[in-house]
Amino acid sequence: MEINILHLYYDLMNLYGESGNVKALMNAFSSQDINTNIDYLSIEDEIDFNKYDLIYIGSSTEENQMVALNDIMKYKDKLYKYINDNKFILCTGNSLELFGSKINDIDALKIFDYKSKYVDKRIVGDYINDTIFNKIIAFQNRGSKLEDNDIPFIEKEIGVNYNNFYGTYLIGPLLVRNPNITEYFVKEIIKLKYKDFDFKNFDFRLEEEARNNYLKNYYE
Amino acid sequence: MKIVLIFCKLVSFILKKIGRGSTFPGQLAYKLNKNIGNYFKLPELVIAVTGSAGKGSSTKIVVDVLEGDNKKVIYNKTGSNMLPGILSLLIEESNLKGKVDADALILEVDERYTKKVFDIVKPKYVIVTNVSRDQPPRHGHFDLVLGKIKEALNKDMHLILNADDPYIRKLNLSDEYNVTYYGINKNNLSYTENKFTSLNMYYCPKCHSKLKYNYYNIDMLGDYYCDNCEFKRPNISYLADEIDLDNKYMIVNNHKIQIAFNIIYYAYNILAAYSLCSLIKVDEDKISNIISSMENNKKLNMTYKFNDNNVYVLNNKNENNLTFNESVLFTYNKKSNRVIVIGWKEISRRYKFNDMSWLYDIEFELLNDEYTTKVICVGRDRYDIATRMKYAGFDKDKIKIYDNLESAKDEIKSSDADIFAILNFDYINPFNEMMKEE
Repeated sequence: MEINILHLYYDLMNLYGESGNVKALMNAFSSQDINTNIDYLSIEDEIDFNKYDLIYIGSSTEENQMVALNDIMKYKDKLYKYINDNKFILCTGNSLELFGSKINDIDALKIFDYKSKYVDKRIVGDYINDTIFNKIIAFQNRGSKLEDNDIPFIEKEIGVNYNNFYGTYLIGPLLVRNPNITEYFVKEIIKLKYKDFDFKNFDFRLEEEARNNYLKNYYE
Repeated sequence: MKIVLIFCKLVSFILKKIGRGSTFPGQLAYKLNKNIGNYFKLPELVIAVTGSAGKGSSTKIVVDVLEGDNKKVIYNKTGSNMLPGILSLLIEESNLKGKVDADALILEVDERYTKKVFDIVKPKYVIVTNVSRDQPPRHGHFDLVLGKIKEALNKDMHLILNADDPYIRKLNLSDEYNVTYYGINKNNLSYTENKFTSLNMYYCPKCHSKLKYNYYNIDMLGDYYCDNCEFKRPNISYLADEIDLDNKYMIVNNHKIQIAFNIIYYAYNILAAYSLCSLIKVDEDKISNIISSMENNKKLNMTYKFNDNNVYVLNNKNENNLTFNESVLFTYNKKSNRVIVIGWKEISRRYKFNDMSWLYDIEFELLNDEYTTKVICVGRDRYDIATRMKYAGFDKDKIKIYDNLESAKDEIKSSDADIFAILNFDYINPFNEMMKEE
């Protein structure tokens, strides 16, 4: 059994410790004794999306976002199909904006209707909230906001979800800090590929300790 | 304007008397008259040093060299590097007519205040040490910081930049400024495969092709070139031809310079200062002699013995991955058994939220080799540090967790290997005191 992950634009969209999310996924898959292969691909590579069970894209500067946008446009039909085939994409930070209709006034992939607009003052700070994934501990640091989001994920201002496409403005090592979310994704991805998979327990003791300690230190 | 100055000088004097040097006089002066900065008559030679890391070190080296050359130098020695702090300095150091009497005014300037400060002091020379990932909650990201610095520059300024840093080249992509470059040649610690996953720049800033390297010195610094266009490391006026960090020296323009602490970035900071001093016509013999006789700034890094083992105390700035990556690379290059201590009191004193993303932009993976016997994670955020170590691949039984230095004392002191303490600056003194305790 194996899972294939694509860390797309790993060298352009890597602004806020995104590698932590990939590490969290790798760790969780391997705890289920599943071989995990990861490809790091970017603008100079030919990409065959069919190979992958999950595509991860992180956050970037505004300039690099445009470089990535310029590249990703050529994959529009393939990504549209990938999403409609119910395969997994996870975007953290402004990479989710690539899949919307516009970034400011510039055309994006238009796979979804939502738009994003630059804001004058960056939106920065802890995000601690009770959600469908229980309490999420995360951070935000972005220079844009969503508009016309009719496929909300977690919250309308925070994320988007359609089929197995998930995008969120929550950044940092989101999946390290929120093992609930990681477990959910990893289970869903495995189930999609191996229907009757027999799950073992995940060992998130240290991560849970970090969560509890963080909440105790800063929010009690 | 004169009255504002006199009043603020009085305030500054009184604050000093009661033992409170502060940035308040500058704040007050700016409130009373926004144009107060233009009132000062500054020395002809104004030097500004800015950047995410190393600006304090480079400033201090320039000051020491010029003072050693018998120049009268005024500089912000308290490290107050934003507009109010710099105005306070000028208020204190000027006469009633606003004249600042010195051979040189040397200012370490916070990156975000470069525009405001440069408009007032109009520096003739500007060193930009680097623009790295630094305090993301405050700065947003490095492009925004670079943009701020770029706004502050004009063509009358002479820039001193690191040739090895492809990112800083974005300040001068169309060759509009007068720039002097420094750099470090290939040496025994250079490497050819990138060791760091979170570089700020992988692509040519001109044509977006992937940059190639003949060698790296650290992070994205090295001898780079683009295959697709003419972008490459520029001609270097002040090159450390030969550098031997183990024996703490480098050779620049045939001058041997002792390096007080053998971290490669410290060598870059010296080179920035050396270039500047040479440009303003201090004799290079003199520059290298003064720098060679400088003592290691013990506030930054130090090394001592404990029970026959070496202790390396490495100073870092939280939320600044470059300083940590320097320490990681330094530790990685020491191929003997080691115990690593990582910790801090607070992530940041500047704001109350606590971002953790920067921990994943530090290449702790490099330390997961056969030499590291344990990693001791200390402080309020010990579990977040320990989790980072888990994801760096360390075995569970190598990760030790303590809530403060006191409780970690026995674990640290019983180490049977060299100790590498990779700490935020707020843990440096407590750590050294703990090591001294009986």
